[in-house]
Amino acid sequence: MHRFSLKWRQTRMGLLFVSPWIIGFCAFYLYPFAATFYYAFTRFTGIGNPTFTGLANFSTLAHDPVFRTALFNTFYYTAIEVPLSTAAALGLALLLNMDVRGQSFYRTLFYIPSIVPVIASSMIFVWIFQPSFGIVNSLLADVHINGPAWFFSITWSKPSFILLGLWGLGQPMVIYLAALQGVPREMYEVADLEGANAWQRLRKVTIPMISPVILFNVIMSLVLSIQYFTQAQVIETPPGSPGTSTMFFVTYYYQQAFTDLHLGYASAMTFLLFILVLLITVVLLRTSRRWVHYENDPR
Amino acid sequence: MPARRARRSSLPKHAVLIALSAMFALPLIWMISSSFKTADQAIAMPVVWWPHPFLWGNYSQLFAAQPFFRYFWNTFLYAAITIVGVCVSSSLVAYGFSRLRWPGRDAVFYVMLLTLILPFVCTLIPLFVMYKRFGWTGGYLPLEVPTFFGSSVFSTFLLRQFFMTIPASLSEAARIDGANEFWIYSRVIMPLAKPALASVILFQFIYCWNDYLGPLIYISDPGKYPLSLGLAEILGTYTTNWAWVMAGATAATAPIVILFFFTQKSFIQGIALTGQKG
Repeated sequence: MHRFSLKWRQTRMGLLFVSPWIIGFCAFYLYPFAATFYYAFTRFTGIGNPTFTGLANFSTLAHDPVFRTALFNTFYYTAIEVPLSTAAALGLALLLNMDVRGQSFYRTLFYIPSIVPVIASSMIFVWIFQPSFGIVNSLLADVHINGPAWFFSITWSKPSFILLGLWGLGQPMVIYLAALQGVPREMYEVADLEGANAWQRLRKVTIPMISPVILFNVIMSLVLSIQYFTQAQVIETPPGSPGTSTMFFVTYYYQQAFTDLHLGYASAMTFLLFILVLLITVVLLRTSRRWVHYENDPR
Repeated sequence: MPARRARRSSLPKHAVLIALSAMFALPLIWMISSSFKTADQAIAMPVVWWPHPFLWGNYSQLFAAQPFFRYFWNTFLYAAITIVGVCVSSSLVAYGFSRLRWPGRDAVFYVMLLTLILPFVCTLIPLFVMYKRFGWTGGYLPLEVPTFFGSSVFSTFLLRQFFMTIPASLSEAARIDGANEFWIYSRVIMPLAKPALASVILFQFIYCWNDYLGPLIYISDPGKYPLSLGLAEILGTYTTNWAWVMAGATAATAPIVILFFFTQKSFIQGIALTGQKG
């Protein structure tokens, strides 16, 4: 009886401390999430009540060429930006972890772009990639290369956004660097004794040791890049241009929901997005068992 | 890695690092340099690296044409209120997830972490409809109120990671002395958590300074614009004068970079704390 009441007291205390989040979770996640699911099957303009239309939104989506473009653009951006920025952040962290003189100077320098306000960095990139008088094209002209129109070219607009994303890789770089500094030195000494070369040390010691951190960062950057929006919205007028080359998922969602007030249709879009994000995360977590190494893990 | 190896190959390494530094620094250097040029000099070909004459006027003209101080003030207010919300609610929740043992704790914690991968658009429309019904749209309440209910999962996670590093014996000693949990939270744990709270405050400040989508959806009156919306307007309005646009970008960036230099340690520690696995 006494044990039971102690356990109950502990549970009550725990829930009491966590209660702000539980209330917030119900009000700002659970309810709106359920409502989105419901809206997906309705026609709704925000005024009055939603009208139930069954699967109409989904069948329209299946034949919506802009939606398909938005999906393609988002995949394009994600499939290139996430691996590239992960590799680059990891590479920079490895480079900085090699006892270089001035490590903290370089770390600071590489980190600063990631705290530049996102609108400011968008402004800077439109400016340096300006087709006719930007610094990049003028430097390219010095070596007799005719630079493209970057953000204003159908072919180059997405790569331009990828470059903008790469400039801000300071956050994951600092995380990787901290993780690298947590790898015990003895492990490298053992590897050295066994005659491992630099590549083997990286493959067999460094990467496995920091793999949980890599997994966490890859998942977070995937989720973020699937929701890519702000930079494209600010830089491109009208949003999505040139052509439909920068029409990302959320760009189209924003247009449908907040410009055209097709709230039911936009909800159907987000419903699909949720399934997509869930699938990607599950696949990553499942396959990660093959490459992620947990210390003291009985598995 | 052994110092011997580091020294032997240090020359190519520094060459790579210096080349990379140039690439990372160029956009910022070009931003600052352009902001002191005349409109013609900014677009001059071949490029002018050093502004001549060195023009401060872009800043005063831009600040006269756009209510920049108003934008700053609105952003500060938004940041200050949400910082209070995050510090209070996230620390309480983090305490419940780390310093107390109760059945189901870790399961609930994982549910909270899972909300990190939930795309924000999945809840946006019903939230908008709900806030509109409350009469909150048009102001900052939709962005501020949730922070008092642990909406900053990132901050909760960071604080929880930090609380886990504080020895359990400290709480136990206080409990034996008859202290209740709230006393331990406010008098023992929170004072020890100052470094982690500093990181949380910094990250929340930067989040607000950066936040574009939230204000874009809820704020419509230009007088209430935060910095992000004000800047976006500059980009849309003044592309005929890039010196002005770059003055705006510099004015928005400088405070954050200065803040960073004064608080570098909190930044790096905070990031390292969230990078570790739970």
